Amino acid sequence: MTDQVSARVASVEQTAEWIELLRRDYEVVAPVKTGKTTSFRPLAEGLEVDWDYTITTIPASKTIYSPQETLVRFARTEEGYRAEEVVPEKRKRILFGVHPCDLHGTLVLERTFLGEMKDANYASLRANYLIVGLNCQSIGEKCFCASVGTGPFYGYWMGQGPPQGCDVLLTDLGGRFLVETFGVNGVRLLAGVEASPPTPDDIGEKLKREAAAKERFRKSLDTRDLPSLLRRNLNHPTWRITGEGRCLSCTNCTMVCPTCFCYDIWERVGLDLSVIERIRVWDSCQDERFAEVHGGNFRSTREARLRQFVCHKLSYWVEQFGCYGCVGCGRCMTWCPTGIDLAEIAAEIRADEERK
Amino acid sequence: MNLQLPKEAVVIGTKAHPPDTKAFKLRLRNDNERLELRSGQFNMVGLPGFGEAPFTFSSPPQADGSFEHTIRAVGRLSKRLMRVEAGETLHVRGPFGTAWPLEQVKGRDLLVVAGGVGMIPLRPFLLEVFQKREEYGKVVVLFGARTPGELIYREEFDTWRRQPNTFLHLTVDDVPPGETWDGHTGVVTGLFSQMGIEPDNAAVLTCGPEIMMRFVARGLLLRRFPANRIYVSLERRMKCGTGHCGHCQLGPKFVCKDGPVFRYEELAGFPDTLL
Ligand SMILES: Cc1cc2nc3c(=O)[nH]c(=O)nc-3n(C[C@H](O)[C@H](O)[C@H](O)COP(=O)(O)OP(=O)(O)OC[C@H]3O[C@@H](n4cnc5c(N)ncnc54)[C@H](O)[C@@H]3O)c2cc1C
Ligand code: SF4
Ligand code: SF4
Ligand code: FES
Repeated sequence: MTDQVSARVASVEQTAEWIELLRRDYEVVAPVKTGKTTSFRPLAEGLEVDWDYTITTIPASKTIYSPQETLVRFARTEEGYRAEEVVPEKRKRILFGVHPCDLHGTLVLERTFLGEMKDANYASLRANYLIVGLNCQSIGEKCFCASVGTGPFYGYWMGQGPPQGCDVLLTDLGGRFLVETFGVNGVRLLAGVEASPPTPDDIGEKLKREAAAKERFRKSLDTRDLPSLLRRNLNHPTWRITGEGRCLSCTNCTMVCPTCFCYDIWERVGLDLSVIERIRVWDSCQDERFAEVHGGNFRSTREARLRQFVCHKLSYWVEQFGCYGCVGCGRCMTWCPTGIDLAEIAAEIRADEERK
Repeated sequence: MNLQLPKEAVVIGTKAHPPDTKAFKLRLRNDNERLELRSGQFNMVGLPGFGEAPFTFSSPPQADGSFEHTIRAVGRLSKRLMRVEAGETLHVRGPFGTAWPLEQVKGRDLLVVAGGVGMIPLRPFLLEVFQKREEYGKVVVLFGARTPGELIYREEFDTWRRQPNTFLHLTVDDVPPGETWDGHTGVVTGLFSQMGIEPDNAAVLTCGPEIMMRFVARGLLLRRFPANRIYVSLERRMKCGTGHCGHCQLGPKFVCKDGPVFRYEELAGFPDTLL
């Protein structure tokens, strides 16, 4: 992909027409209001993009990396079973209206699946998608992307940025959209769209809106020296107090996190044994059996499991992948039944260390 | 290349290691392919319908491309594998992980400490050292098991002991009625007093229950063996072998790809380990 960037401005009507145009060739998966929340859904007749959403429950990255998928199929032969590759269906899709936290979340997830060892399934699923980002101006109560640098507007963060993470980036300028394209795919997506070049005023408006959005954050995370702060405090009492006292091991935090990659592998055996499928399903380090081996369990306590979640996101990840595993979306604490909040835990540990 | 897609491996021979362990000699069904394995690495070995699990190679790389796994029956897959005989097919993915540091420890005295089935991953290392015996210093093997019957590979001990400048010391925790034993009893660290190896030029390789490796490593550190020349091979739950499923994580390490063989010093200060 090239770093080639171009920008233009489209009216609300032109944008709506553009989406209709895209739907002819692609399945457009976009944020859509579903009851009180917003979720990524394929746009269909009567479904409209929710332009003002704050956050979806399930992150954009997990539209691509789904809860369950078949990895290998074993077909019965004379001698036993023959393993067959399962090539996921080829389907042209656009993941549309993705906020910057989630754009970075997808890139973080891909440092696992598309790193030195490639996950073939994820790679072929990912090849189906083009991504259209949407700068975020609807800051939620739990959002702290500005503290980790992944939002609210999309830019470079820990070695990843616009040309890698999306093909087109939209900014709502109020009654019109700034449309930026990155690389050839972005240009192709906009082919045939009526739009005018941006004026200096349009660019000024984007900057103004970015600054205004940054003012609206109510939550923050202090990232100074954070990975080593946590490494120095692996025995801090909060792991026990919060883990044993409040964690229910429900696994919600990891299920809704855009960067959590962990999975389990199951065998699905057909009743007549003619086909056996090896499937992967999302798994969670918060599950009691996650680290169990014959004769022991390396994380048998909630204390150890909570420490794994928080330290993985905010410390170990940096050593593993050169970036944080947390993009500041606020989902884990939103969906935690007892409100466990990794940013609060980090702050508590920092405060204790500073007091000493 | 699809790292999840297993290759078919035909069982060309088996050997029982009573009471609960069995060795399988295998070769890939496709004659044009071979596993470029190194001692210390592992395969994911599977049987459709029963799943996959990590098993180290139990013999060094062979000229004919065959390879060996020695498997103890503990659960669903491994118990089913006990009924697999020559001619049947297993599905393997690998080799994965880091290998024993055969090159780095050349010229050094070697202290090999094994506990129970921890001898399985160490055997290919020993056999490779014996193949090039003159390139290494003194070799001392300390091997402990729960009972005399669980001293796996005992039929090979005489051959090992006949290697030049090579010593094997055995110990068991317990002698059940019906078994005889006139050797040492007690934990494997109890053999330290007779090991006869000085730390200055030594390298240590150990595999066994993590609690055993803890006492081995800490005991040897007290005896001034350097932490960067103590190598441990770890066990964790593993589902993928490729650094994707997350199960094997230990602090910032993925045991499947950064390990299973680590230098002890690499693991200092991590939680969720007994080391
Ligand atoms: C790198 C490595 C090398 C190994 N080499 C050998 C070897 O050479 N020979 C040998 O006999 N054993 C070896 N093991 C241990 C072996 O992988 C386990 O005994 C095996 O996974 C048990 O599988 P099962 O289906 O029979 O057991 P299950 O029925 O699945 O369970 C039995 C017990 O094993 C635990 N377990 C399940 N899956 C795994 C897993 N993927 N990894 C670890 N524990 C698991 C379960 O939690 C349970 O407590 C090795 C393990 C690792 C990590
Ligand atoms: S170990 Fe836990 S926190 Fe880390 S990626 Fe896996 S599920 Fe998420
Ligand atoms: S750890 Fe929580 S706040 Fe951070 S990216 Fe995951 S779900 Fe969002
Ligand atoms: S075994 Fe899956 S990440 Fe290591």
